[in-house]
Amino acid sequence: MAAITDTGVASTAPARAKPSGVTQRVTKIVLALVLPVLLIVAWQMGGRDGAIFGGALPTPDRVWKAWMLWAFGNPGFGLNPYAGTWMANVVASAQRVAAGFALAIVIGVPLGILIGWSKTVSALVDPSIQWLRPVPITAWLPISIAIFGISGLGAIFLITIGAFYPIVINTTQGARDVERNWIRAALMMGASRFDILLRVVLPAALPSIFTGLRLGLGIGWTAVIVSEMVAVKSGLGYVLWDAYYVGRMDVVIADMVSIGLLGYLSDRLIVALEFAALRWRRMQSFNQ
Amino acid sequence: MGTIAFSNVSKTYGGTGGVQALSDVDFHIGEGEFVALLGPSGCGKSTLLNIVAGFEMASGGDVRFDGGGVTKPGPDRGVVFQEASLLPWLNVWDNVVFGPKVQGLPKDVYEPRARRILDIVGLSQFTEALPVQLSGGMRQRVGIARALVMEPRALLMDEPFGALDAQTRLSMQELLLDVWQKLKTTVLFVTHDIDEAILLADRVCVMKARPGRITRDIPITLPRPRSIDTLTDPAFTGFKAEIMAEMRGAHHHH
Repeated sequence: MAAITDTGVASTAPARAKPSGVTQRVTKIVLALVLPVLLIVAWQMGGRDGAIFGGALPTPDRVWKAWMLWAFGNPGFGLNPYAGTWMANVVASAQRVAAGFALAIVIGVPLGILIGWSKTVSALVDPSIQWLRPVPITAWLPISIAIFGISGLGAIFLITIGAFYPIVINTTQGARDVERNWIRAALMMGASRFDILLRVVLPAALPSIFTGLRLGLGIGWTAVIVSEMVAVKSGLGYVLWDAYYVGRMDVVIADMVSIGLLGYLSDRLIVALEFAALRWRRMQSFNQ
Repeated sequence: MGTIAFSNVSKTYGGTGGVQALSDVDFHIGEGEFVALLGPSGCGKSTLLNIVAGFEMASGGDVRFDGGGVTKPGPDRGVVFQEASLLPWLNVWDNVVFGPKVQGLPKDVYEPRARRILDIVGLSQFTEALPVQLSGGMRQRVGIARALVMEPRALLMDEPFGALDAQTRLSMQELLLDVWQKLKTTVLFVTHDIDEAILLADRVCVMKARPGRITRDIPITLPRPRSIDTLTDPAFTGFKAEIMAEMRGAHHHH
């Protein structure tokens, strides 16, 4: 009975004393900011009269000004498309990514589980997925426009296709790697085939699924920008190309930074979900 | 209830010309009997258990559980795996009630039962713990509780204490003796540990490899209830000598 009477539940606290959580977090943030700050300073110092590279690009102060006007300026009569329209465009792009990404999950996760679980489904579906996968999302643009015209639906279509591949492939991998004895134990306890897929294969595949989600979301942001540049009349991708055409490189750069921030924040969201859902997995790994 | 019968059972892996894991196995376990399968690795003892469990199919012969053919796993045969094989994302409680839940039993039937069994195996204080937070012995207690909560007619145990340290193994053996004396479920217990087989079982079936077969079926007439003290009983040593001689291949049939 030693195991129960002595320590009971194994401790998960690290043996070595670490600096307090707050200090650690502040250090991390400071380190993360070193490179961006250096870049901005060098860029600002290298410019002259608000421009760099012989006038090809604006300096950071002008980008900031343009961004603030774009975000908080008075739209007036709508004559200046870069005054007060930032939020509307962010929302338009983010909604498309959310819709396309959700659709890719709804299709990709169950399909990946079935491919990983059933040799028949794998033989039937997997070769087609592998043939279609090398076709880049940009090559789907003509078909997308032919079907959906110049509309947000085309962007959602492209995001779904782009995010689908990493989600389905990683889910398949996770479902194939489920330990045989977990399945046997569930069968022994009277679980139906459906119960096994839902209560054993899906949770066991969750670590791989999250890897697929993060990769898929990254591709989703690429897809939304590409399709908005070509085939949609709103969103950050549309603004990016439109601003370039009228020579507003300050808006172009502000737009790029916005895309980066949104992509980063949405990835953090997935990581937070993963952190909450995979406590069991985290406790098993060496590097807690 | 809980009888297991093998007639002329054989198992070959890899088709014709493959490895013969079991050859002509004939044996019977009666209701409430505790039978140990003892042999070196590769003698087919786990294969035999997997066939009773319904995880694998025999290549030839006839396998019956309570008179019916065995075609698939089910909650009437509770299996305890070597490494417990708990579902790592479920806590102790959810691992134990997994079976009743997927079988659709009502909560007011299985919850008191699960609480009673967790109490018997000494885990009442640890229902919220994840498997990774438990020691090997505690994990195996959950494995036993998960099988018992289904009130199986037979308990199939595949080297359940093989991965534990000596001291924990002794306490688990005592726990199993206690539980079995209370429930009197049929037990098929696979092990390569001679002491463990004699201490626990009513009969020890000694197996040999290439091809896997049962060479001796030795009734262990030591009185019950047994405990760790049984290990030092002179009669225990007698059984041990007999089994060791059999395992070395010295055939001295009485």
